[in-house]
Amino acid sequence: MFDLLNNLALGFSVAVTPYNVLFCLIGALVGTLVGVLPGIGTVATIAMLLPITFGLPPVGALIMLAGIYYGAQYGGSTTSILVNIPGESSSIMTTLDGHQMAKQGNAGKALAIAAIGSFIAGCFATILVAALAAPLTSIALMFGPAEYFSLMVLGLIFAVVLARGSIVKALAMIVFGLLLSMIGSDLETGAGRMTFDFPELADGIGFANVAMGVFGFAEIIRNLERSSEERSLVNDKVTGLMPTWADLKACLPTISRGTVVGSILGILPGGGAVIASFAAYTLEKKVAKNPSRFGRGAIEGVAAPESANNAAAQTSFIPLLTLGIPPNAVMALMVGAMTIHGIIPGPQVMTKQPDLFWGMIASMWIGNLMLIIINLPLVGIWVKLLRVPYRLLYPSILVFCCIGVYSINNSPWDVVIAGASGLVGYWLIKHDFEAAPLLLGFVLGPLMEENLRRAMLIARGDASIFITRPISAGLLLVALILLIIAVLPMMRKRRDEVFVEET
Amino acid sequence: MSEQVGGPQEARGLIRNPQDFWGGVVLVAIAVFAYYASYDLPGSRGFSFGPGTAPRLFCYLLGLFGLLVAISGLLTYGPRVPRYAVRGPVLVTLSIVLFAALIRPLGLVLTSFLMFLFAASGSNETRWIEATIAAAALTFFCVILFVYLLNLPFQLWPRFTLFGLSIAF
Repeated sequence: MFDLLNNLALGFSVAVTPYNVLFCLIGALVGTLVGVLPGIGTVATIAMLLPITFGLPPVGALIMLAGIYYGAQYGGSTTSILVNIPGESSSIMTTLDGHQMAKQGNAGKALAIAAIGSFIAGCFATILVAALAAPLTSIALMFGPAEYFSLMVLGLIFAVVLARGSIVKALAMIVFGLLLSMIGSDLETGAGRMTFDFPELADGIGFANVAMGVFGFAEIIRNLERSSEERSLVNDKVTGLMPTWADLKACLPTISRGTVVGSILGILPGGGAVIASFAAYTLEKKVAKNPSRFGRGAIEGVAAPESANNAAAQTSFIPLLTLGIPPNAVMALMVGAMTIHGIIPGPQVMTKQPDLFWGMIASMWIGNLMLIIINLPLVGIWVKLLRVPYRLLYPSILVFCCIGVYSINNSPWDVVIAGASGLVGYWLIKHDFEAAPLLLGFVLGPLMEENLRRAMLIARGDASIFITRPISAGLLLVALILLIIAVLPMMRKRRDEVFVEET
Repeated sequence: MSEQVGGPQEARGLIRNPQDFWGGVVLVAIAVFAYYASYDLPGSRGFSFGPGTAPRLFCYLLGLFGLLVAISGLLTYGPRVPRYAVRGPVLVTLSIVLFAALIRPLGLVLTSFLMFLFAASGSNETRWIEATIAAAALTFFCVILFVYLLNLPFQLWPRFTLFGLSIAF
């Protein structure tokens, strides 16, 4: 306990200088402003803004980066809610209820609860990281390839369980995503897979492109075929920008659960924040008195994934700083930024540069605080954006999306892939397939393959490794139980649906 | 599953749930195509996976689930496949392709302006004078933001000075 306070005090003494707080504020502001442009997600925002931190001293640069990171992430959540385009994989879940809320005129509430949930989760996770960094690292070290593979299976089953419609269709979408993620060069041998010898496909088709297509472009195409009254992106009656006390009360348990789930899953490298947001959403849907509200604009459906992905984002620094493994593309960018400042992430950071390690953790908390300071007043402005008539809004979104996709790799080919994904997404909508499981499969595909390969190699081709290792077996068992729990009521409900005409 | 079950658009005949049936059929077709595309990749050797092992594994799974979806489309009742619009999808997609094709040769200014107008033609609510002004404003905003504030390496104007090109459009 004393260590914890000492460490945090050290961290804050490094982070809280007027300059550093100013850097953090600027970072959060710019990060939000760029991240809020539809089509420019977290990765693109950080990539664009990295250069502005180059001139600063290492600690200042890291603190500004933390600000940019949180700003960009919140900006991504904003577009998830307002225009149904998730900025990165961990805000996919936010689109489900967030966008529904926006359609019902509650965009302000959704945005505010996202910021509040993130802040509460951030506070808790900061303390958790400080307290548990060392012991949790040893747990993460117990995870071998078999455990990671089983963890990802569990994550995918989560995605299936929470899907609105048929389980088979959700499973099909996950496998479709896994298959799409196989396009490109094989990691181990470099062989081009399903590329038809197009050099443009050698790097795969890219998460940002696919996400923008199946969510953003498909949504625009679908909106165009509706008449303007039917579409009504936002109701004219915007009911209250801020959540009421009743809303906050309803969300507090949700936020706490989301925080715990996110903190635990974030520690595990490999898509922690993504799985965390899925898991938290599923959990809320399961414990809710009336699960049918989810997917139709439940405020808990925004609070849960947002607090979980923020907590996970925080705790995902543990594997980064202790094992040197970046758990996602954003963290990989952060590693790049740290390397530029002469910091090599790895086990030595916590012991050799304690001021940096703890300063960074403290700065994450400050980043969170800045976010809530900047964004609560801005909520009104973001909501006004929805008043722009759709006939002007959608071409603007398309242009931003294209510029965003293009600017990540300066590749026109990426823009074409995003466009094609848009048509695929349109087809999915027409056949009532969900895009969220597809995208999760797409994100986790390469990691699953890698760990499956390694596990099989270690076990000398014996697949029983997944059930003979206790942690792996436990994870798979939970996945199986979840699947059974999900299938049973589903079958019963479907029988009801056949008998009862129109609910 | 879906709320429209039993609604007026319910299909009759052998294929009771065309939405699921055709969805499943297309997924199976995709699986077959992907299998063909990864056919020549080397498979497992001994304990170690080859580059083709995982893709083909996912092909089998997608084929299996696609088949299940299609079969459930025969056994359950469900809505028809909703009609596909033509104008929106085609024009939006074309405008995206247009951006990809023009951004290198024409630069950011002309490309975003043209793309905005092209995309705007996908809606029948578009008022052209308003759209032209909005396109110009958006282009200006993008140039200030991406080129001057964020210093992204965008080319602003056409690489080759082809006089009359912008007028020809």
